[in-house]
Amino acid sequence: MPRMNLSHFEVTLILALFSSAVLAVVTKKTDKERLHYGLTSFGWFALTVFGLGWLMYLGHR
Amino acid sequence: MSEKLVSPLPELPPVSKWLPAVALAWLVPGGGHFLLKRHYRGAILCGCTVILFLMGMMMRGYLFQPMTGDLLTTIIYVGGYIADMATGILYILARMFGYDAPDVAGHTVDYGTKFIVIAGLFNILAVVDAFEIATGRKD
Repeated sequence: MPRMNLSHFEVTLILALFSSAVLAVVTKKTDKERLHYGLTSFGWFALTVFGLGWLMYLGHR
Repeated sequence: MSEKLVSPLPELPPVSKWLPAVALAWLVPGGGHFLLKRHYRGAILCGCTVILFLMGMMMRGYLFQPMTGDLLTTIIYVGGYIADMATGILYILARMFGYDAPDVAGHTVDYGTKFIVIAGLFNILAVVDAFEIATGRKD
């Protein structure tokens, strides 16, 4: 099996993408709601990653 | 004082109606949804679970063995083992083909371990969803 090395950033974004998709599918009733929830959820995940990333960067300067 | 009205859940149908969907949902990620003719939802759940599991393996994630000891060890190892097993056929095949990455320190391996556990948690959500669809609690 090939080996895979991902950065922290890549891992968090992949996890955010899949988590958003699965949560949207199992928690919402219509396709429109699912799409909206999935995109919103992914956006919040990504925003949190950026926010915490900058916070840690500034905290360690 | 206000009273909150809660609609009761519909009565549970016979086991034969929902058990095949639930069992298949555990064994094959998304399989329960395919059986219940929710094809595209099944495909999304299957894709997310399988891709995450394979990526976890490619990062040489550790497959948990049940281990007891202090409370934290028990929670992590038994919980991890249950979550790993929740991936169904993926776990069985990985074990059958001899996948046995060691539990070593390092961020890549650690992420891989978490990816495999999360794939199992996704499949648990898929199983619960398949159960709710099969019992008529959800469309």
